[in-house]
Amino acid sequence: MNMDSTTALAADAQLIKAIHGGDERALSQLYRLHWPMVSHFVLQNSGSEDDARDVYQEGVMVFYEKVREGSLELSCQIKTYLYAVCRRLWLKRLTTKSRLHGVRLLDEEEYGPYLNTGAEDDVQEAEERDRRFATMSEALTHLGEPCRSLLEGFYLLDKSMLELTAEHGYTNADTAKTQKYKCLTRLKKLFFASYKEA
Amino acid sequence: MQTEADYYALFEAYQRGELAAGARASLEARLSAEPRLQQLYTEYQELMGTLAAYGERRRTRRTIAGLHEAMLAAEAAPAAEANSPLTPAVNPILRISRTERRLREFWSGHRATVGVAASVAVLAVFSTLLGLDLWRSANAPAVSGVRELRREVAQIVRSQKALIRKVDNQMGDATLPPVRTNKFSGTGFALTSDGYLVTSAHVIKGADSLLVEGRDHQRYHAETVYADKKHDLAILRIRDRDFKSFGKLPYTFKAGQVDLGERVYTLGYPREDVVYGEGALSARSGYDGDTAFYQVSIPLNPGNSGGPLLDSQGNLIGVVSSRQDDVIGAAFATKSSFLVRLVDSLKNKQAAQPYHLPRANQLAGTARAQQVKRLQDFVFVVKVYE
Repeated sequence: MNMDSTTALAADAQLIKAIHGGDERALSQLYRLHWPMVSHFVLQNSGSEDDARDVYQEGVMVFYEKVREGSLELSCQIKTYLYAVCRRLWLKRLTTKSRLHGVRLLDEEEYGPYLNTGAEDDVQEAEERDRRFATMSEALTHLGEPCRSLLEGFYLLDKSMLELTAEHGYTNADTAKTQKYKCLTRLKKLFFASYKEA
Repeated sequence: MQTEADYYALFEAYQRGELAAGARASLEARLSAEPRLQQLYTEYQELMGTLAAYGERRRTRRTIAGLHEAMLAAEAAPAAEANSPLTPAVNPILRISRTERRLREFWSGHRATVGVAASVAVLAVFSTLLGLDLWRSANAPAVSGVRELRREVAQIVRSQKALIRKVDNQMGDATLPPVRTNKFSGTGFALTSDGYLVTSAHVIKGADSLLVEGRDHQRYHAETVYADKKHDLAILRIRDRDFKSFGKLPYTFKAGQVDLGERVYTLGYPREDVVYGEGALSARSGYDGDTAFYQVSIPLNPGNSGGPLLDSQGNLIGVVSSRQDDVIGAAFATKSSFLVRLVDSLKNKQAAQPYHLPRANQLAGTARAQQVKRLQDFVFVVKVYE
């Protein structure tokens, strides 16, 4: 068992390193590896296949972002960490979905001490980030066209200023640029207004 | 005066390292000197950071969704390969229909709930059935179940005396005014003219003292001479010194048996006044085949116990004892032959106390009303004090 966990930890470390380096094959491998566990868990606890997929993707997202940031402090196997994160996420959904208080989950013994994984904190942090992103998405929507596609094109889709000038029919790149900065200040107002008040 | 948008352009150029060295130095100097500009820059950084992270998140989400699709495709691919070769025999696990998969999902998701619901249903059904059964058996007439009837019968046999006592108790409460302090009462009648009386043994059971009261409200103290619990007979004697005689008894005691269907009647004190009751002899055995008793079809009430049972000729043929509650019109009376036998045996034992049983019947041949008129002077209330 000890041998197993040591080799598992070594394999995990390798995987994390690869994912941190942006290796998509590693992420894909990880994704495939732990899907059965989470899907089984969710199905076991009155969820559907779609619920399982949503929860798992959310969980992998938490893990992935932590890895990319390099701020993941793993005190257990990835498997246990993912289990803990997904468990937490599913519990949250269940409690909001069914107004039943005190939902009790059927747990798999083998994933052990999922309470000491730091998953709680990570999930909370992820939630805070989700809120920020939701606000941003909302602000972008409220911004309206052409500001939205201008900003999204430049900052999110990495289009060049020339492309955007042509797309939006500006007379030259400078006008587009001035327009872009104006849009940016409006976005700032919208974003901070709803983010602060929330 | 520069607008905010101008500053944003400046900040972007600064961050991308596009500013000339001089302009950069002047901006850095202004940032450290002007708090307003500093705040503007912090906000700019936060906004751009969030925007970038948001873009990153969108990409990641798409990547991960892609991973899921890829995984499903990878799962399906080997299955397709396995199916395509010449072997048409398929792996049953891979051939799960859409409906069946739904069902399986449902089952794995809800089996705990289903289990609980099923057990509750089973429990409810059985407790309902059980409850209904209990309720029905509780409400069913005693005759419906053979076993139950037998048990009840056995119980009655065992507690016949207790039953009688209870009946008398009720009567005592109901029929007598509260001024009187006697607990129970029954009926008694003269055995001899010189002060012997007969009543039922259960009437005087537990008696402390006895009072005998006639129709003319003449009271006498009495004492128990003998009580035969088995045949429910008791013999009393008047204790009072000034008592002389009842007068000549008009009836005789029949030593033999009486035939079925014989018209019979009785007098008794189920209430304040003497009450006449008549019927027929319906069986020559009593409760549970007890041959010491007759069964008679006379409506009897508590307080009738110990009363005389006479036939149409005015022969005393029995002593009223009890009735059966769950059978209509079934009352029991001790046969007079047992009374005669008892008197005989007492004669032998207590030679000093002579029993002069009446020998001549003065009632025979007279009308019923005449018989009753003469008889009622010899029938008494027996009051029991505990």
